[in-house]
Amino acid sequence: MLIEMKNITKRYGSLVANDNVSITLKKGEILAIVGENGAGKSTLMKILYGLESYDSGEILINGKPVRFSSPYDAIKNSIGMVQQHFMLFPPFSAAENIVYGNEPRRGIFFDKKEAYRLVEELCRKYNLYIDPKIKVKDCSVGLQQRIEILKVLFQQVDIIIFDEPSAVLAPQEIDNFLQTVLDLKKAGKSIILITHKLNEVMAVADYVTVMRNGKVVKKMPKHETSIEELSYLMVGHHLEEREIEEIEPEEEILAVSNLTKTSPDGVKLLDDVNISVRRGEIVGIAGVSGNGQSELIQCISGLEHADSGKIVLNGIDVTNASVSAIREAGCACIPEDRYYWGSAAEASLEENCIMYHYQRKSELMKNGFLNSRNVSLFSETILKDFDVKHTSSSQSMKDLSGGNAQKLIVGREYMQNTPLLIAAEPTRGIDIGAIEYIHGRLLEKRQKKDAILLISSELSEIIELSDRIYVMCSGRINGEFSRDEATREKIGYLMMGGKNDDEM
Amino acid sequence: MNSLYFAAIINSTFRYATPVLFAALGSLLCSRGNVFNVALEGQMLAAAFAAIVINFYTKNMVLSILAAICAGLLVSSVVALFQIKLKAHDMVVGTTINLFIQSATAFLMQIVFGSRGMVQGHGMVSLTKIDLNFLSWSPFLYRAFENLSILDYASYIIAIIVYFYLFKTVRGFHLRSVGIRYNAAKSLGINSQKMQMNVVLISGILCGLGGVSLCMGGVTVFVENMTAGRGFIAMGASSMAQAHPIMAIFSSLFFGATISLSKTLQKVINSYFTETFPYICTILAITIYGAISKAKKKK
Repeated sequence: MLIEMKNITKRYGSLVANDNVSITLKKGEILAIVGENGAGKSTLMKILYGLESYDSGEILINGKPVRFSSPYDAIKNSIGMVQQHFMLFPPFSAAENIVYGNEPRRGIFFDKKEAYRLVEELCRKYNLYIDPKIKVKDCSVGLQQRIEILKVLFQQVDIIIFDEPSAVLAPQEIDNFLQTVLDLKKAGKSIILITHKLNEVMAVADYVTVMRNGKVVKKMPKHETSIEELSYLMVGHHLEEREIEEIEPEEEILAVSNLTKTSPDGVKLLDDVNISVRRGEIVGIAGVSGNGQSELIQCISGLEHADSGKIVLNGIDVTNASVSAIREAGCACIPEDRYYWGSAAEASLEENCIMYHYQRKSELMKNGFLNSRNVSLFSETILKDFDVKHTSSSQSMKDLSGGNAQKLIVGREYMQNTPLLIAAEPTRGIDIGAIEYIHGRLLEKRQKKDAILLISSELSEIIELSDRIYVMCSGRINGEFSRDEATREKIGYLMMGGKNDDEM
Repeated sequence: MNSLYFAAIINSTFRYATPVLFAALGSLLCSRGNVFNVALEGQMLAAAFAAIVINFYTKNMVLSILAAICAGLLVSSVVALFQIKLKAHDMVVGTTINLFIQSATAFLMQIVFGSRGMVQGHGMVSLTKIDLNFLSWSPFLYRAFENLSILDYASYIIAIIVYFYLFKTVRGFHLRSVGIRYNAAKSLGINSQKMQMNVVLISGILCGLGGVSLCMGGVTVFVENMTAGRGFIAMGASSMAQAHPIMAIFSSLFFGATISLSKTLQKVINSYFTETFPYICTILAITIYGAISKAKKKK
């Protein structure tokens, strides 16, 4: 047995993050650990990588008991980890990042030429190519992940832990990544993959360990299980197949016409974009991230100004209007980055719940004073209705798990009761239970004859929910599909820049 | 204006630039490690005072320099302890230390020398001067480089050493990485906190050298609050140089020139105005510089 973690228990105050958890990993094996957010899988890996201590239990590597007090110890024992949030230095080159901590030296000096050579050699060895001199800040997320992987490989580890590796990747980057994992296995590495994307598990894993509420529910070989069984084990109950009822869309709520925006260095971010969203429909915008979707919603929601074009919301011209004027006109927005745009991480749940609401509801604020009793009541409604798992409404936002933070933001924006809701990446990096919940809420809003504009880099999400789908590529609308016409293949083709009338 | 007069201004520019350059190097090292060290002023003032006290008792230049370094280290270790280890707010720590050192040195001056305001004479030594006799063929150049002390020259050598440290050594690479992303460096096995504390201590040593060149560079003298904001001017010099040690040489010379001009112009214009000159230049330079770099970013 390469790694055995036996009866690991870890408590945070009254919360038991890992309750008597045991896992094993054999050499050359890919073990997937699946579970919802807060199931304890990341904690378990942080323990294995020396980032967290544990209260009881034992870790054996090749049969020998070990105790790590820092990642440094783990690396010495041949364990490396690619963390969910990359540990890269954007101004430094790829090679500088890869050799970090084991820099080739000449005396006290950093031998950069040797570093470039070593990195090129490493790239050849593992068939993972990168320009050693490229600055990390100029790299796409997929490339950044490749740099992280190369960094771990440079440490000459045999065991690689991946924490939610695909959460930040675009669809085709995910395929590349999964291929890389299989290549690494072929090169003799043993891999632990933490994820909640079950199709990825089915694609690469040898064994699957399912965790729920800090405990291991089951471990089994992949070929003895299925996505259905895994999701049942993860969530603890069956997910219902959703029937989406047909609704005849009504009048137009959002009309964007000829919207154009050029970046300061002359790149067309938005190129003559025309879209329309009507009451009672969910309109999806599919596209590889970075093809103008962000700019489009930022123009609509007032965070960015367009160079030309027109945005009409609810009959009001809101082109380049202020954020509050746009919200006033009837637009709520679930922003794509829940911490950067969506919430104040240090502020309390209550404060996050009432954002914008307090300006519109006199029971929350009168004459510049907040009514704390009503604020609490209002926040409680959101926290309860939207199933935000929390310990107290005065805890700070950053202490919520990603899924719960997202549910709070969805709740807050949903409660604005506006005719238009923009949902940008509403389910990025959160677990199946929370995804199902948020999807349900979006459909409920559609049922109420409101309009929803959905932006997601998760194609399956777009296809499942949208009545109509626009495909964006290089800042242009590259095609439009109705629900019946849409297939993964057709959309994927347009996402990569193909044309709708091309022969496929 | 005759040319020798101009050479004299150049000469005093060099001399006024030295303390600023030392402190600016300390400041830029700190900011490379993402430490905002506001206490440079206090570090320098304490060092200058320590140098004078030891000079007064021993009349020994080397011991005075060592005393200044120790005083700079002592004050900076307080900064490191409170600001880095105990995570107190940088402005609070820096301002408190600056005010404390300013009053403590005034108070100790009264005790040690029994006088207020100014200490000089008493047979105190000054820094060894280097005369460039080979320049005597040109009275202008000779005058411009006349009577510069060993520390005036050392400051440029140290700036070059700092450049190599930051951009060519592995440790400098790690320091910059700590400044860019503290936690990432930590997760990769770097003791980020220790690196930050060390860099503050190094700024203490550099301010120690700055302090000693301030009070023993020309005539040996200590005046109450004699740093007079040079620690802050150094922060300006460092940020104008974008925390680059070679650029810091030029920005420090620029501020040295403003101080030198303000002293020269005192003979012509009311000194109440000329005394503000270096500070107005600091504000202007940083504002203009900030506007330019912002415009560059936009492009």
